[in-house]
Amino acid sequence: MSIPDYMQCAEDHQTVLVVVQPVGIVPEDEFFRIYKRITSVAQVSIRDSQRNLYIRYRHHYLPENNEWGDFQTHRKVVGLISVTTCGSAKEWPQTSDRFHCQKDVFGATLYDSRLLVFGLQGEIAEQQRTDVAFYPSYDDCPDVEKRVEDFVESIFIVLESKRLDRATDKSGDKIPLLCVPFEKKDFVGLDTDSRHYKKRCQGRMRKHVGDLCLQAGMLQDALVHYHMAVELLRSVNDFLWLGAALEGLCSASVIFHYPGGTAGKASGREPSLAHGQGQAADAGKRHRPGALTANGISADTSSEIGRAKNCLGPEDIIEKYKEAISYYGKYKNAGVIELEACVKAVRVLAIQKRAMEASEFLQNAVYINLGQLSEEEKIQRYSILSELYHLIGFHRKSAFFKRVAAMQCVAPTIPEPGWRACYKLLLETLSGYSLCLDPKDFSKGSHRGWAAVQVRLLHELVYASRRMGNPGLSVRHLSFLLQTMLDLLSDQEKKEVTQSLENYTSKCPGGMEVLTLPDGLKLPPVPLSKLPIVRSVKLLDLPVSLRPHKQKGLLENNMSSKSPFIYSPIIMHTRGEERTKKIEFRWVQGDVCEVQLMVYNPMPFELRVEHMGLLTSGVEFEALPAALSLPAESGLYPVTLVGVPRTAGNINISGYHTSVFGVTSDCLLDGLPSVRTSGCVVEVIPSLPRLQLSTSLPRPFSSRLSSSVSVQLFNGETQQLTITLENIGSEDLETLEVTSKTCNTKEKLFGEFLSWDLEEAVSQLPLKPGQSVTLTVNVKVRLDFSGGENLLQDLNDDGISVTGLPISSPLRQVLKPRAETKPLGSESSKTDYNHVKTLEAVMTFKYSGGAGKMEGYYRDLSLGVHVDVEPSVFFTRVSTLPATRTRQCHLLLDVFNSTEHELMVSANNNQDLVLHPSECQRMAIQVAKFDFHTLPQPDQEAVRYTNPKLLEEERLHAQASMISSTLGSLSVSLSLSLSLCSSSLDVVVNGKPCDCDIIADCKVGDAVPLEVKLTNRSKNAVGPFALTVVPFQDYQNGVQNYDLQDAVTFIGSNTFYIDMVKPTENSACMGALLFLYTGDFYLNIKFQDDSAGQGKELPPSWFGLPSVHIKALEAPIEAGA
Amino acid sequence: MAVCIAVIAKENYPLYIRSVPVQNELKFHYTVHTSLDVVEEKISAVGKAMADQRELYLGLLYPTEDYKVYGYVTNSKVKFVIVADSSNTSLRDNEIRSMFRKLHNSFTDVMCNPFYNPGDTIQSKAFDSMVSAMMVQAS
Repeated sequence: MSIPDYMQCAEDHQTVLVVVQPVGIVPEDEFFRIYKRITSVAQVSIRDSQRNLYIRYRHHYLPENNEWGDFQTHRKVVGLISVTTCGSAKEWPQTSDRFHCQKDVFGATLYDSRLLVFGLQGEIAEQQRTDVAFYPSYDDCPDVEKRVEDFVESIFIVLESKRLDRATDKSGDKIPLLCVPFEKKDFVGLDTDSRHYKKRCQGRMRKHVGDLCLQAGMLQDALVHYHMAVELLRSVNDFLWLGAALEGLCSASVIFHYPGGTAGKASGREPSLAHGQGQAADAGKRHRPGALTANGISADTSSEIGRAKNCLGPEDIIEKYKEAISYYGKYKNAGVIELEACVKAVRVLAIQKRAMEASEFLQNAVYINLGQLSEEEKIQRYSILSELYHLIGFHRKSAFFKRVAAMQCVAPTIPEPGWRACYKLLLETLSGYSLCLDPKDFSKGSHRGWAAVQVRLLHELVYASRRMGNPGLSVRHLSFLLQTMLDLLSDQEKKEVTQSLENYTSKCPGGMEVLTLPDGLKLPPVPLSKLPIVRSVKLLDLPVSLRPHKQKGLLENNMSSKSPFIYSPIIMHTRGEERTKKIEFRWVQGDVCEVQLMVYNPMPFELRVEHMGLLTSGVEFEALPAALSLPAESGLYPVTLVGVPRTAGNINISGYHTSVFGVTSDCLLDGLPSVRTSGCVVEVIPSLPRLQLSTSLPRPFSSRLSSSVSVQLFNGETQQLTITLENIGSEDLETLEVTSKTCNTKEKLFGEFLSWDLEEAVSQLPLKPGQSVTLTVNVKVRLDFSGGENLLQDLNDDGISVTGLPISSPLRQVLKPRAETKPLGSESSKTDYNHVKTLEAVMTFKYSGGAGKMEGYYRDLSLGVHVDVEPSVFFTRVSTLPATRTRQCHLLLDVFNSTEHELMVSANNNQDLVLHPSECQRMAIQVAKFDFHTLPQPDQEAVRYTNPKLLEEERLHAQASMISSTLGSLSVSLSLSLSLCSSSLDVVVNGKPCDCDIIADCKVGDAVPLEVKLTNRSKNAVGPFALTVVPFQDYQNGVQNYDLQDAVTFIGSNTFYIDMVKPTENSACMGALLFLYTGDFYLNIKFQDDSAGQGKELPPSWFGLPSVHIKALEAPIEAGA
Repeated sequence: MAVCIAVIAKENYPLYIRSVPVQNELKFHYTVHTSLDVVEEKISAVGKAMADQRELYLGLLYPTEDYKVYGYVTNSKVKFVIVADSSNTSLRDNEIRSMFRKLHNSFTDVMCNPFYNPGDTIQSKAFDSMVSAMMVQAS
């Protein structure tokens, strides 16, 4: 006996063994269908007695084992049921012969046998036999069970007779010696008459009777017999049989104590219950046919006698098992018996929940040497050990043996390694090593477990699945290994694992689908979220120029709040809300949107990540995957993933997609608690048009604005900037607004910096995609380079320019020494003038269109205009000189060329003036005086002049000069103020208006009428005045002769009084002069303010006082000469 | 004396495991891992009786062909396992006990370290050298 039956349990001792075997050709599935029906008759209640017979069916039994039948009768094959197919009556004899052959195999021990013939149609050729049953087909055999029951009953009759035969045999003097196969040769030549031998025979027979009683359902009898046998055999030191007797005792006690059985659910015993002929309902009674039933009535008279003392207690059972096993252990050939006894004892202990002792039995079982075991037997043995350890709750040990069994399946000595079985067994060990193949269990915190062991197991799984020819599984296990054990792998291991992963994925790329094994185990997908590790996810706003803005007014409607309170201190925060938190900015449908991930590579080598894209929900999103290569052990590395939302709505960035080493993974952010994110939900608004801006000017530098132009201009220069707006989006551009804002407000800017005409551009709307529109912007710079008020100060201090001195020629002014000192002064302050000033403005193009416009969104496009203004020419000094005519005056400009170029200055009608670099020259321009009130110039600029007197100054804007320089044509607009009279005096001599340049002619001796008219141009009333006319003669050598009483005489008074003159009114005084001699005379008109009463002389600057030049001529006779 | 010394956390994962010879470390991992079954069984068996007066030393967990596995459980359910060579017959129970006691003291020192997070693997040098000392004696 070499092959142990690991499934045996203690109660098997009470069963009779029936072998069911096919004869001839029987389809396997049909056979097992019949076999199953036969085995359903596992328990038969015997008529006329309350005893039950239990049957153990085997479809395969070694005749070798049958030889141990005397030792333990439940090992003896007592029945044979053969199943056969017989197509025709002709085949029948042959079939019958085969059946008899088979009967001979177990012939010595068989009590009875049956043959079930299937397929034989029609009449049966032979006469009716009790041991043969015919059925037309495998499907049409309704009374198989009934037949089996009859068969079992016939076996019982034989068994019962044998029992009675042996039990009453004790008086007979010749008791045969029962022995096990290996003993036979030992007893050759032994003295059969010795008392010792007889006792041995008696003991063994007693034990045998015990077995029979147990099988026949007489538990108490069996116990009695076993006790007697134990005593007998102990006395003769027949250890093998003593062990068997003890084991029998244990079995009987176990059957008594544990009617539910010890085999557990694994055994085929349970389903047989249902077929137990309806009496199975009382499960408690079922297994105790010989024992005292509840009502105390038992056919077995011996049952009550000594029941208590014969039956072993639970503790004793184990003790006796130990003893029995120790006896078995003395015999090398009884290894199988010993092993089976161990297994039975473990099952009993498992029921008793005594794991420690059970483990001792198992430990012992491990060391039982059964000689040379075949590989298959080894596998079986390890599997059963694993199962038993599992039974007693030693899951780790169970896993250990299961793994050993798995390894045994593929031992190198096996010609055809069973990788499939190995893989299956390995999978079963997972729980023992507290390993779950779902990566979600590992996402929390660091790995805790038996890493070394687990890694090894995973490697084995990978290898087994590969050899099994399922690279998909290998990839899945390897990914799992890489994902969960990454921190525990050494650099070398990481390299190896990834290399093999790449090898496998070349055959079978890893995906995200759930793999289902044939036995139903599901392998969840393993997203490689650690390759690379993502630290943070940040949604990026669109570039400034593409950001959508909500039209004001519509914004308020959006601010709906869930709470009825405007403010509540209770913040309804739940964890994870940060993830779903909505982000302030918006994305636009159809525009490329970006998400920035901070990733790092934990591997000691370069990591290539392919097809890295975003996983989204809520909105149709076209992810544009990226490929990246991360250097070994990289630090945090920003990666930008892009995509285009195709519809509008709220988009949720739920994760990302990668492909590493051929494994594609979808990593969901929900499963990655270590990822920081500031929110993953963003609103996508309907699409808007997109404008691209290009300009005629170069863009020299990048700035915070999307685009900008930079230009260098001389002060006063105007340049045209052509802006081309192209619609590069997919929507029509429907509205366009342009605004500008000057950033640098420190400088005093004259005139409009940027000006444009939008009409033409707007007329081209709506702008289809691909079309463009141009806009011309004039860039004009007019800055004050003089350094603030210096210029005006100059103007006021400089008495010369405005005193109205009778220096009529501008040329003479130039000759004045003061003019010569001026260039020196400007030289010293040249550095001041030379620095470049900067003007910056932002042009904003507000545009909208398409579906986004309906929702009230628009976009801004900004163009920065940056102008470096270089000083060109400026007027270091501005002054006025009264011209010869009162209506006009000379504007004197000291023009300074601060450029490095030679330039030419030309005024409206003047000749050109060539200026060398850093040269200052004075030029005079004759300009007409302006009427203060006719100027539209706002007064606010004048407010700067705090002196109330100066408030009356008239601002004069003179487009003073056209300056041409070597650089080209520049237009310089000069802003200056001229101080002119608030009131003007018109002097009319001889009926003709008289001005400086005009010489009035008159005749000597004639009275010359003189009219002085005062026109008030100021806003205030002036006067009253006293006006005195004093004639004098200028000798042109600096001497003025006022002593002219005898040359000129007044008719009437030479002093006029003018009353208050209201604004814009005038007042005239009439007088007359009489010249007595010929000559050139001048009239000096002096004003005195009468209102003050003290006759204060007013400064002549108040009035544009003309000096009247009168030439007195001879009488017409002389004039004619 | 010892060929393998392991400290196992309450939740039955290793905090520390060290063995000589190094080349067959995995075998000891398996040995210690399977010994936990016995440890758990012993704890649960004792736990029912008197939790307070429990003997920390669990004695021989199980013998294998080459090794003997001894166990020790602190009151906080941290387990110590010592694997000794079976051939070393001179090793007495008392010596094993004293080894466990030393191990326990040293472990207490580790736990007292404010920079040690309970549940992390033990990386203390002092503990390591103490364990080495116990193992060196064997070789």
